[in-house]
Amino acid sequence: MSDHKPGFFTRWFMSTNHKDIGTLYIIFSITAALVGGWFSMIMRHELGDPGLQIASGGQEWNVWITAHGLIMVFFVVMPGLIGGFGNWFVPLMIGAPDMAFPRLNNISFWLLVPSLLLLASSAFIGSGAGTGWTVYPPLSSKLGQPGMSVDLAIFSLHLAGASSILGAANFITTIFNMRAPGMTLHKMPLFVWSMLVTSFLLVLSLPVLGGAITMLLTDRNFGTSFFDPAGGGDPLLYQHLFWFFGHPEVYIMILPAFGIISHIVSTFSRKPVFGYLGMAYAMIAIGFVGFIVWAHHMYTAGMAVNTQAYFTAATLIIAVPTGIKIFSWIATMWGGSLRFPTPMLWALGFIFLFTVGGVTGVVLANAGMDTSLHDTYYVVAHFHYVLSLGAVFALFAGFYYWIGKMSGRQYPELAGKFHFWVTFTGVNLVFFPQHFAGLAGMPRRIVDYPAPLVPEHLEGPFVNHIEKIKWMASQEYGYHLWNYVSTMGAYLSGISVVIFLLIVFYTLFFGRKVGENYWDAIPETKTFEWTLSSPPPFHQFEIQPKVK
Amino acid sequence: MSSKIEYDTTGKPHPYHIVRPSIWPIIGAFSGMLLAVGAIAYMHELKIGEFAIGFKGIGLGLLAVASVMFFWWKDILFEAVTEKIHTPIAQIGLRYGMALFIASEVMFFVAFFWAFFDASLYADQEILFSRLEYTSGQWPPPQIHVINAFDLPLMMTMILLLSGCTTTWAHHAIMEGDQKSFIKALGITVGLGFTFLCFQIFEYSHAAFGFKEGIYSSTFYMATGFHGFHVFVGTIFLAVCYLRAKKGHFTKDSHFGFEAAAWYWHFVDVVWLFLFVAVYWWGGLGGTPSAH
Amino acid sequence: MTKITYWGMALFSFISTISMAPMAAFADDRARPTQLGLRDAATPQMERITWFHDSLLMYIITAIVIFVTALLVWVVIRYNEKANPKPSKTTHHVLLEVVWTVIPIIILIVIAVPSFKMLYYLDRVEEPEMTLKVTGYQWYWGYEYQDHEGVNFLSYLIPEEEIDESKGQRRLLSTDNVVVLPIDTNIQILITAADVIHAFTVPAFGIKKDAVPGRMNETWIRIDKPGTYYGQCSEICGKDHAYMPIEVKAVTKEEFKKWLVQAKEKFASTGSRLPYELAFNTGVQ
Ligand code: HEA
Ligand code: HEA
Ligand code: CUA
Ligand SMILES: [Cu+2]
Repeated sequence: MSDHKPGFFTRWFMSTNHKDIGTLYIIFSITAALVGGWFSMIMRHELGDPGLQIASGGQEWNVWITAHGLIMVFFVVMPGLIGGFGNWFVPLMIGAPDMAFPRLNNISFWLLVPSLLLLASSAFIGSGAGTGWTVYPPLSSKLGQPGMSVDLAIFSLHLAGASSILGAANFITTIFNMRAPGMTLHKMPLFVWSMLVTSFLLVLSLPVLGGAITMLLTDRNFGTSFFDPAGGGDPLLYQHLFWFFGHPEVYIMILPAFGIISHIVSTFSRKPVFGYLGMAYAMIAIGFVGFIVWAHHMYTAGMAVNTQAYFTAATLIIAVPTGIKIFSWIATMWGGSLRFPTPMLWALGFIFLFTVGGVTGVVLANAGMDTSLHDTYYVVAHFHYVLSLGAVFALFAGFYYWIGKMSGRQYPELAGKFHFWVTFTGVNLVFFPQHFAGLAGMPRRIVDYPAPLVPEHLEGPFVNHIEKIKWMASQEYGYHLWNYVSTMGAYLSGISVVIFLLIVFYTLFFGRKVGENYWDAIPETKTFEWTLSSPPPFHQFEIQPKVK
Repeated sequence: MSSKIEYDTTGKPHPYHIVRPSIWPIIGAFSGMLLAVGAIAYMHELKIGEFAIGFKGIGLGLLAVASVMFFWWKDILFEAVTEKIHTPIAQIGLRYGMALFIASEVMFFVAFFWAFFDASLYADQEILFSRLEYTSGQWPPPQIHVINAFDLPLMMTMILLLSGCTTTWAHHAIMEGDQKSFIKALGITVGLGFTFLCFQIFEYSHAAFGFKEGIYSSTFYMATGFHGFHVFVGTIFLAVCYLRAKKGHFTKDSHFGFEAAAWYWHFVDVVWLFLFVAVYWWGGLGGTPSAH
Repeated sequence: MTKITYWGMALFSFISTISMAPMAAFADDRARPTQLGLRDAATPQMERITWFHDSLLMYIITAIVIFVTALLVWVVIRYNEKANPKPSKTTHHVLLEVVWTVIPIIILIVIAVPSFKMLYYLDRVEEPEMTLKVTGYQWYWGYEYQDHEGVNFLSYLIPEEEIDESKGQRRLLSTDNVVVLPIDTNIQILITAADVIHAFTVPAFGIKKDAVPGRMNETWIRIDKPGTYYGQCSEICGKDHAYMPIEVKAVTKEEFKKWLVQAKEKFASTGSRLPYELAFNTGVQ
């Protein structure tokens, strides 16, 4: 009776149900990933060989990377981890019937749709927004990009920002106000903790980005001079404001991932999380320190040397709480009785690859060292290891862990494992060689790189690739070889995305039906969601649960 | 989480507010898009054939957004007043929500204050040679005739402080159940807010520096203008409360709608104090005040 | 077979990059296709960076990754379901938690101390022997020899079609007017831009500074060996960001003096100042 679902239109377009909205977010995230992933495929294809392959020139390149970066950050990782899994599982894990503000929840989702539309049109209208995802003026000012593309991108960010701020306020309220009796903060599952910290980061950092892009907008269209040196402004002001948001933003993308990984590791170790309180407070520490390190993105911009020294010190400190997380996950597994279904593989992959990406972050944290590495492919390698091999691995981990719960149907195990290994190989091939290119000095955001052009007999896909590799390795100079490897890896990653789509399709239509606790979580690791049917009833916990 | 988790139920239905499906969110989102597209059409002087769009797009967008707000809040009022569905727990949720919204607004202002302090504290940095040229190493830059802080701005400070007092008066009145004083105090607050806005319009139209005259004007107008916009919103918020008060929506024990408006108003008040001290007073020290 | 050879080559070049500083008197600055590490250093700046990276950071981060990997592998082998059917219940170990907090702190201090020393060394030179002013434009570089009246010029990429490999020219790296600098000289470099942000970089010198309009950034170098060195604009600056390289020719002091004489003649027509205002039209009334 109470599980009566509304009709199609009401259910999906007027929803006030956290699970349905979560589902919408996940669909949105996967759709956006196909767009952002497509951009990365044409980017890698372009860089596969020196010279121009498909780009008409630098502007087109800049538009691609801008769209790729913004889409991946704002429309894939954030909606997936926060909007998708956050919406689905925060209420379930705290024993709440829904989010605190269900209507607000729905507008948070729907704002993303016009936002993505505006961003997409920014890439296709006029000459496109070719500023990089950081949108630094004066390149993003009237001087650098006079058309309307950048204004479209700015408004897109306004809408996405409003969406996230509202969503974050909703999560904080839900978590503070709607926990089942008995669930004190210190008993709250770690994923909920991670969403709580993430939400605070969002509420406190996104408005600053909002202010920055508003000033950019008035500089562009109404004659103010915040970032215009001729009127006494300073382009570096924008950079400070952007990174005051931008650095917390990177932790916004990784903290929910930490939360998911904690649950998976503990479930499949059949052991509670090791050092639960340390894990929770490490996230708070990361969130806090995350606010005072922003200028490590600006070491070469001309800051005073003492300022650089401060930001170096502050940035290095973040390795400590992050280390606590890594070691606590390992300690959780230590002494456990481990199983390795697909989600656990993604989680292990996450721990390993995030460590690789994290330690290169520590390299970059040193202002002097960054002199050599800033704006090179080393940075690109670093942040893809924490994002494309960190946050995205957690997205997949969460997907495989919870798809049974969300849809009532289980994915095919062998196919899931196959997907993992193909992705793992693919993305490592893409991004590991980029460290080498970066160390050797290859700048990022370039459409073409120094290297001798490929002779005719080695052009095109149907050549002897061994011979081509030999040829590349024997050249005098240039970045061809590592880019070539990276591009091959990207093709493989592209294939892995297709495999994923097939698995999703198969699961939803032909997957095996599962019961409530299909991972056999032991009582010590069994969070609330495993006490409900799969999928859970349309309205769960109508009789309020409690934790003893 | 470290020991065995055992589940039970309280045996009672949960005390939260489960909201009915609603069309406003999706319409609101696309109204936002309409507003954005309208603004772009205005800024880039777009035309459809012969038809110049001008302000019309923005107008349409604003209308759409405002209508959605109207209907959305109407639903909320129906739920609160008629259905009495806002349980004490749900009200605590509303409090969290409002507090967080204000926190995010504070951070919005942080961005504009940052811009202001960046320009004013570092007006004499030699490596910023272009800025040096503009400011001559001084703040306020010598070519700017600033507004005397102890002229109109002091008056505006008084108005806002007074309005803060009348808000508190209203709050105490409703807590005592004194509907009459409550309505009266609210009415005065709205009047004061309106007066403030009139003064600000007067100030803007008499300022000796224009909008496009470099970083001084940029920071001044952005910070005070964004604040003025908040006063505008706060005044409307209070005015709505005034109308609701007349209808008897608020009671001794249940008047969160009013409290939210009061919080918001105090926040706007505090921001003004910072503006007054930093931008008008400190930021004008050593400058030449304009004549009037 | 071939694959293995190439990985071997890669490994060899890695070892040679990190172990043997090139002994040649004439530097050969290039990114080799199989290169795994930093560029060969041509200044004390880059030597310090190289030491810091190759002899400190690389060991530390490699050790950390190996350590974490080893733990993961061990856990997978030792504590899988078959090997350990009964999970333990341990969830706390205070000493362990203290250890994995304190040891990283110590490691970070070990990193931070030389890092700061290097940072302050790289910052600026007290008494420069000469000053080069660099201005970034969309999409070329302007150079002013501030101690030598009239030696100012612009430097553009040599287009692909005109590259003459027999002259040692390199695609996307060679420029029409090369910056000539003396070796063994403390050179102050001032960097700014006239339109959008660019970044002046020469990897072999260990320098990178953003060229920001309205801001005069500063860095310094002291080149060890004669040779030709390359860099590329390192801040996205619009459509031709990939096409504004930097080519520096380092020569002995005597040769530099000779070059100055020629340069004065050659660049007389540029006038005494570069067109800074030209591009600076950001439209404030
Ligand atoms: C999920 C996103 C994410 C995460 C988690 C991180 C994590 C970190 N990042 Fe990264 N970063 C980005 C995303 C992210 N970053 C992005 C997108 C950019 C580029 C933006 C752009 O320019 O476009 C960037 C750029 C970037 C820069 C600027 C580089 C440049 O432009 O020149 C720097 C410099 O300090 C940096 C540092 C760090 C550090 C120190 C961490 C630390 O948090 C890492 C901590 C983790 C570990 C260290 C590993 C685990 C720890 C142990 C096993 C304990 C023992 C370890 C030690 C004692 C060292 N990052
Ligand atoms: C989360 C962020 C993210 C992700 C996942 C990726 C993924 C990829 N990125 Fe990207 N990238 C950025 C963020 C990201 N990137 C940013 C911020 C920049 C900087 C832009 C700038 O300079 O301004 C950048 C720049 C960048 C560059 C440098 C461009 C330049 O400097 O000129 C390159 C070049 O190779 C590249 C390549 C790739 C490739 C091959 C992938 C591949 O891994 C892609 C393969 C696709 C996937 C692996 C996605 C699969 C995910 C799903 C299907 C979602 C699943 C969802 C659920 C389960 C809910 N990216
Ligand atoms: Cu100039 Cu990039
Ligand atoms: Cu950062």
